[in-house]
Amino acid sequence: MSVYNPLATNEPPLVQPRKPSGVLRNALTLGRTRVGLALLVLVAGVAVFGPLFAPHGPQDYLGLLPNKGPAPGALFGTDHIGQDVWSRFLDGGREILFLALASTILGLAIGIAIGLFAAYTKGATDDVLMRGMDVILAFPSIMLALVVIATLGPSYWLIILAVGLTNIPRAARVTRAAAQPIVERDFVGAAEAIGVPRWKILFGEILPNVLSPLMVEGSLRLTYSIGLIAAIAFLGFTPNPNGADWGVMIQENYIALSVQPWGVVLPVLAIALLTMATGMIGDGIARAAAGIDRLRSAE
Amino acid sequence: MDERRTLEHMHLRGTITRRQMLIGMGMLAAGASMAAVLAACGTTGASNTGGTPKRGGNFRLGVTGGGAKDMMDGQNIITKPDQARLVTAYETLLSYDENYKLGTDGLAESATQDAPDQWTVRLKQGIEWHDGKTLNADDVIYSFKRMLDKSNGLFGAAGLSTIDPNQITKMDDRTVRFKLKQADSTIGEQLGQYYNGIVPAGYKRYNAADPSTQAQVGTGPYKLKSFTPGQQSVHERNPNYWRSGQPYFDTVTIIDFSDPAAQVNALLGGQVDAITDVPFAQVDAVKAHAGLSVLESPGGGWLPLCMAIDIPPFDNNDVRQAFRYIVDRQAFVNQVLSGHGRVANDLYAPFDACYASDLPQRKQDLDKAKSLLAKAGMSGATFDLHTTDGAAGMVDSANIFAQQAKAAGITVNVHNDPNYYGDQYLKLGFSVDFWGTRSYLPQVGNGSIPTAPYNETHWPPKDSNYIALYNQALAETDPNKRCQLVHSMQQLEYDQGGYIIPFFNDLVDGYSTKVSGFQPSKGTLNLDSFGHGFRTIWFG
Amino acid sequence: MASGPSGSASAELTTPTPGGPAIQARPVSSAPAVSPIWGFIGRRILLGILVLFLVSIVVFLATQGLGDPARAILGRSATPASLAALRAQLHLDRPLIVQYLTWVGGLVHGDLGTSLAAQEPVATLIKDKVVNSAFLVLIAGGISIPLSIAIGSYAALRRDKAFDVAMSLITLVFAALPEFVVGVLLVVLFATTVLHVLPAVTLIPPGAGPWDDLQGLVLPVLTLVLAVTPYVARIMRASMIEVLESDYVEMARLKGLPERVVIIRHALPNALGPTFQVIALNLAYLAGGIIVIEYVFNYGGIGSGLRDGVFNHDIPVVQALAMLIAGLYIVLNLLADVATILVTPKLRTRL
Repeated sequence: MSVYNPLATNEPPLVQPRKPSGVLRNALTLGRTRVGLALLVLVAGVAVFGPLFAPHGPQDYLGLLPNKGPAPGALFGTDHIGQDVWSRFLDGGREILFLALASTILGLAIGIAIGLFAAYTKGATDDVLMRGMDVILAFPSIMLALVVIATLGPSYWLIILAVGLTNIPRAARVTRAAAQPIVERDFVGAAEAIGVPRWKILFGEILPNVLSPLMVEGSLRLTYSIGLIAAIAFLGFTPNPNGADWGVMIQENYIALSVQPWGVVLPVLAIALLTMATGMIGDGIARAAAGIDRLRSAE
Repeated sequence: MDERRTLEHMHLRGTITRRQMLIGMGMLAAGASMAAVLAACGTTGASNTGGTPKRGGNFRLGVTGGGAKDMMDGQNIITKPDQARLVTAYETLLSYDENYKLGTDGLAESATQDAPDQWTVRLKQGIEWHDGKTLNADDVIYSFKRMLDKSNGLFGAAGLSTIDPNQITKMDDRTVRFKLKQADSTIGEQLGQYYNGIVPAGYKRYNAADPSTQAQVGTGPYKLKSFTPGQQSVHERNPNYWRSGQPYFDTVTIIDFSDPAAQVNALLGGQVDAITDVPFAQVDAVKAHAGLSVLESPGGGWLPLCMAIDIPPFDNNDVRQAFRYIVDRQAFVNQVLSGHGRVANDLYAPFDACYASDLPQRKQDLDKAKSLLAKAGMSGATFDLHTTDGAAGMVDSANIFAQQAKAAGITVNVHNDPNYYGDQYLKLGFSVDFWGTRSYLPQVGNGSIPTAPYNETHWPPKDSNYIALYNQALAETDPNKRCQLVHSMQQLEYDQGGYIIPFFNDLVDGYSTKVSGFQPSKGTLNLDSFGHGFRTIWFG
Repeated sequence: MASGPSGSASAELTTPTPGGPAIQARPVSSAPAVSPIWGFIGRRILLGILVLFLVSIVVFLATQGLGDPARAILGRSATPASLAALRAQLHLDRPLIVQYLTWVGGLVHGDLGTSLAAQEPVATLIKDKVVNSAFLVLIAGGISIPLSIAIGSYAALRRDKAFDVAMSLITLVFAALPEFVVGVLLVVLFATTVLHVLPAVTLIPPGAGPWDDLQGLVLPVLTLVLAVTPYVARIMRASMIEVLESDYVEMARLKGLPERVVIIRHALPNALGPTFQVIALNLAYLAGGIIVIEYVFNYGGIGSGLRDGVFNHDIPVVQALAMLIAGLYIVLNLLADVATILVTPKLRTRL
């Protein structure tokens, strides 16, 4: 059962090496991938380029009272201390995007390495590594992040590390599962016989053949990371208390939700669309990969 | 002043005794109140005087700021839940009314300064404790000795410090004489501070482990029935209360809330009948809600940014004054208070008759700020500002100051410390704090001299004559002369002080319209001093 | 987020073998069926204890091993005297190993330490919170478990038809959304902005239980259900499809048995195993999801307790709650694995 990849349909694991580009091309033919991509471009665009269009600085005083609705100069009204909601919204995506990308890349890099190594080495090393992964998986991800923040307080590198840590075991498992059949293949044995160094085998022979499931896993990890980073900010743990950040915006404006919804609604919709987008893209890629499998096994 | 004539008039007509008149005069001079008319203060929320008071009901109050450290002590508080609990059972000798005017509406029939260094207090007749015993002089003596004992660490110790604990004499069952170590005219005002409650001889603070403290015997309108620190307390009507007819509720339940959002939601949902400190963001929502009303009381409370004058770089007065010129005060009122307050001038005690209102109102002047900073060699420097969620607006004040400071070219890093009131409190160079309404000299005793419990700015400077002026003012019996001394003290603070006081905040509370009797009040405590210990309010 | 809300992508302790049920299959033994089961259970329990032990090390190191908790608790400019006092109280002056053993020893004896913020034993502090959270989880689970089983099974049975396609999209969307986003959107929709029919927070009067504010439970329960069900329904669907395509079901079909008999007599029993796994996953994810959701709705459970503990740098509370939740996870997984083995005839013979 594809417990390790629940956003995908249930298909037998990949045995044939496939070209990632082929999978991607196929994915793009699917409606959901296209919608996801469009949403991603939209939200990420706002996040990355938003600050260029913000009419005010995120902490400017506009002479207006806090928690007021749309007014001249404040398109979506003011926030809990009178700052411009629209400007803060435009500024607030970069931090989340940056943290999510960084922790995803960190988790993937280390997780893939561990997964490849475990699949290739087998035996006791494999067991020990996987036990280690189990330990990390024995926590809800947010809890692991919170426990670490409890002593050291929230800082950028700590959050990236903690969220990255929760990504590692999941990426490792997927990689290992996908790599195991590959490891048994002839061309790997041949490379060993020639004396190709282990790391070259891992990253040169095996890795290219597991890229498809890894792409899916990558988008999955990104989706989770965005949600986790936003949740940590929402709970009130941020290295940048007065800066503009979508998760923090939701938290600080939550108390005024009934009189001034925009301070919450704008960032929460942005996060919702962003995670939906990455989720859809991942699902599209998974379907495309599975689709190719079905075709091939039918031949 | 109108009040003086009124007092003389009342004396002539026999309405008040000579002693009361003297006290009244003394209190006026000591700055009991301005003759401001309530209506002119522009307060919102009807002062509900809906008909005749009716008996009955369980009044539920929601408060924040408490926790497992909640205490019940007739003579000490740390947080607002502590304040609410104190006033249910404990009363003071004198008391302040809604206009922050001191009077004999307390346990004392009279309190006279018969000599510059001597005060005599006479109790009212027939007041009983919750356990049936009669309030007498021994209780008063015990109460003051307890407060003056520094090892007890009680709030009022500093303000009463001129009383000689070894020279408190029982004149008769109802009369106590205090001999002071030096002349001090402010003792009367101290007798009215809510935290200087009168406790029975042998009294001890509530302690869950000690059954003898569970009863918390006092003279107040309610008896303690149960108390779970951090959660709630229940108080029952005192059937023997000395003010006949009062109180009206059968029970009062004081409920701790961990955060303002939950507290407001409880009010909106009808789970509590009143709450303290409606977050400014929610004021409009509460006002608009059917069945709810807002009690807005004019501002005497303040959230200072405190610069310790002996910690570099704030030991340089140019830096301190530069910071005072950075502040855009109206922006603070708008951003922090959503408009519920008014601009201040770095001085405290606005309701004191001696308040130096002639000193020019400071305005933002960034050029002056920059030049002062340059003179001090601190252009473009970085500073740390510490704050916490101790009271509404403390964190926002810090963030807004940091933002405004950018315009002066300096960087301010804000640190929101959850354990702020632990060990580092009062040792920081630059921090935010909060204070309630108080007259000038008592406030000095609480926060502006080396022996004060909460002197955040480590005031006064070593070479200043501030302390000498303070002692003179305490001793001075002539109100005019005293005002001159106060003015000099305030001038020193205006020129060299470590406080940045951008505004005075209003107290904004929320309550159900089922409750009648609340009046906007200039006092220190929320909800009209919690309905004067929950006895001047009723359902109906 | 239904990452299994901050949950594991897989809730069992072994790595899944692709293509087969996520249970480690053992070679067929010639011994009678009873003892291998106990052996298996025994091994699983030992494994669980091992992981719990490793988890305790991680929790301990993350809180007391990194940096100086005393400094974190007292904040900047803590005086040497106060630091020394707090360090003595937390036994920080002793070597790390000793600290760890002291702490674990305490846990085993039920001594969860003393909360630094409240100056009370942690056990007293969290008693009510545990009850509140348990209630919330049970109610949400009572809805999400049957729902996810039903949706997943039905979608599998009607594969690629309208229901399946629709569900596939809906579950995809909800599985991707972070839980607190679902919660906040529900609040905006039903409580504060679009409609005003439900309360935005749960209000449990002091001394009362969550059952005293049923109206206030609607949105938190709904949020949890929406956060967890889609995720688990997908897993259920995948498992169900596997069962329907399995050899023995094919065999039954080839025998000419009517479809209903095939499903009830042959497919369902083998689907029970994954079902138990689904139940365990549900509960586990709920336990993780409450951490953020309780904060959204101001619900006084262990989730908000953990959040407050972290906010106050209250290390003993954080340690105790972390171990509690992790322990819960591990136990649930254990139960799921054991139940699956016991219930799946095919797997039992392979023990």
